[in-house]
Amino acid sequence: MPLILKGVMQSPVTPLKDDFSPDLPTFEKLLDFHVRTGATAISWPHHKGESLNLTIPERKAFAEVAVKTVAGRVPVSVHVSALSVEDSIELAQHAQKIGADAIIAITPYFWSPSQDAIYEYYVRLSKSMDLPIIAYNSPSYLEGIEFTGELITRLLENVPSLVAMKEASFDSAKFLEISRAALKVRPDFSIVAGVEFLAPSVPLGCVGSYSSAGGICPNLCSQLFDACTRGDSVKARELQFKLAQLWDLFRDQYPSSLKGGMVIMGRPVGPTRPPLPTATKERQAFIAKKLEELGILDTEPHGW
Amino acid sequence: MSTFTPGLVHAPITPFNQDRKIDYAKFEQVIEFHIKHGAQSLAITMHPGESVSLTDLEQRAQFDFVLKQVNGRIPVLAHVSDSGTSIAVARAKYAEASGAEAIICTTPYYWTPPAAMISEHFSQVAKAVKLPFFLFYTPDEMGGIKLSTDQVLKLVEQLGNFSGLIDASLDWQFMINIISNVWRTKPDFQLLAGNEYMVSSGAIGATSMISSLSSIAPNLVKELYTICRTERYSEARKAQEDMAALMFLLKKYGFASLKSALVAMGRDCGIPRPPQNQLTQTEHAALAKELMALSFMNNEPKGWQSLHNL
Repeated sequence: MPLILKGVMQSPVTPLKDDFSPDLPTFEKLLDFHVRTGATAISWPHHKGESLNLTIPERKAFAEVAVKTVAGRVPVSVHVSALSVEDSIELAQHAQKIGADAIIAITPYFWSPSQDAIYEYYVRLSKSMDLPIIAYNSPSYLEGIEFTGELITRLLENVPSLVAMKEASFDSAKFLEISRAALKVRPDFSIVAGVEFLAPSVPLGCVGSYSSAGGICPNLCSQLFDACTRGDSVKARELQFKLAQLWDLFRDQYPSSLKGGMVIMGRPVGPTRPPLPTATKERQAFIAKKLEELGILDTEPHGW
Repeated sequence: MSTFTPGLVHAPITPFNQDRKIDYAKFEQVIEFHIKHGAQSLAITMHPGESVSLTDLEQRAQFDFVLKQVNGRIPVLAHVSDSGTSIAVARAKYAEASGAEAIICTTPYYWTPPAAMISEHFSQVAKAVKLPFFLFYTPDEMGGIKLSTDQVLKLVEQLGNFSGLIDASLDWQFMINIISNVWRTKPDFQLLAGNEYMVSSGAIGATSMISSLSSIAPNLVKELYTICRTERYSEARKAQEDMAALMFLLKKYGFASLKSALVAMGRDCGIPRPPQNQLTQTEHAALAKELMALSFMNNEPKGWQSLHNL
């Protein structure tokens, strides 16, 4: 299906059983939940989906379930970033084989790659399969490794399948550096915000965001995007402030607290794999209190 | 708590003579230029004005000169940052006695004190005056010294005259955390964009903006600010993109590009003081060419007069 990136796109967490093994039936329920509550696309497994704590065969199995369960209702992209670039290539090829609509890939981990090395990486990914590619910029989590305007220009001039970027620097200067460079080469290039930072980025041309809190409060996410697109700045600010409080609540040991919060919302998805902690009963109680204070319990769906 | 709102704050440069002294005849023109071209307040003297290269006496003399020149037409905010707490405190007191409207202070230069001592620094400066106190947060310029949300919230609680945060961190979550929390108890507390990225800052609550590029492109600065203040952020995108183009261009050529661009605009204010170098002739020619190639620069004043007055 054509890849249209717009609105609040959901990247589900990864449901695990109590013994930390994959819980595919719950994953199906979660995917359905997201699609029914307004997800404009599904993308899995972002770091929120514990991507780096899953084996490559596990990632393939979940990805197959995602494509099958979503069944064309919205586009599905597969996050292929792995410690080894060789694994990323394999995951990208697998994504194409199972019928995913796109892949998303962050700059390579650990090695602090040069701009040339990042360029080569995306060129190689693009040559390894035919799916559209969404690049992923996240300097704060990767020791400052990031896309420059020059790099994105060079990539767009040479990699036709690069169609979008998840821009998670949360910084207006960086956003404008990338968007100005990219839109000059490719006016239909899509820039997607990380988390739900929509109020500061939609006015600059951001098409939507991947969601952090969508498993908890899908209504709030959709309302924020709507307020931003219709230019209701006062409403957008109010909702953005609320989501910022949720981001503070969840970003600590991400996604442990998110999974803890999902228990409160009647959508348990199991523990978080080490080295990340699993939200304790106390942490869950704290999250429950916060969600109640924010009015989430009254305004968002409970259960599946 | 004061309800003083700085609005669109112009941050002038400091003109120097060939012998590297402050050129006060030029400075008078600079101040008049800003007042004529949309400044609702002036901030004397921010980093683009080379505050860090001025002696304590020169900074004090600047306060006096500007306050006399402005003569109450618009408010003047005094930037008093320094390494030593007592030096900044004394400068703040001096500015207050001279008639400044508010005090601006950032984290101490060079030192990397523990958080408690950074708070103490702000606390002493703020308590030294009765004026509104604005904390200027610019971690990238200040060796990466970060302030935590809790630290700032605590200072807001403790300091009655803490009136606003000037943010140049561009950190959306930080700005939201400060402003959304403070507004519950101090609805007058203000968020100011510390540079010209007003769209995103405005969307999350900034109501004022400090601009050093107002010396180069005051009309664009005013347009951007004015649209943002009507909360029509999407409509401000074009102005924000143009502003970004200008910022990226100057950044490419380094700090001295600001004064070089002023020469190109027909407002020669000399070159920066050492240790900042001036641009080479080749660099200057290239910058001037790129600057004039930005189509929106056609709408900007050349020389000291407003376009309309020519």
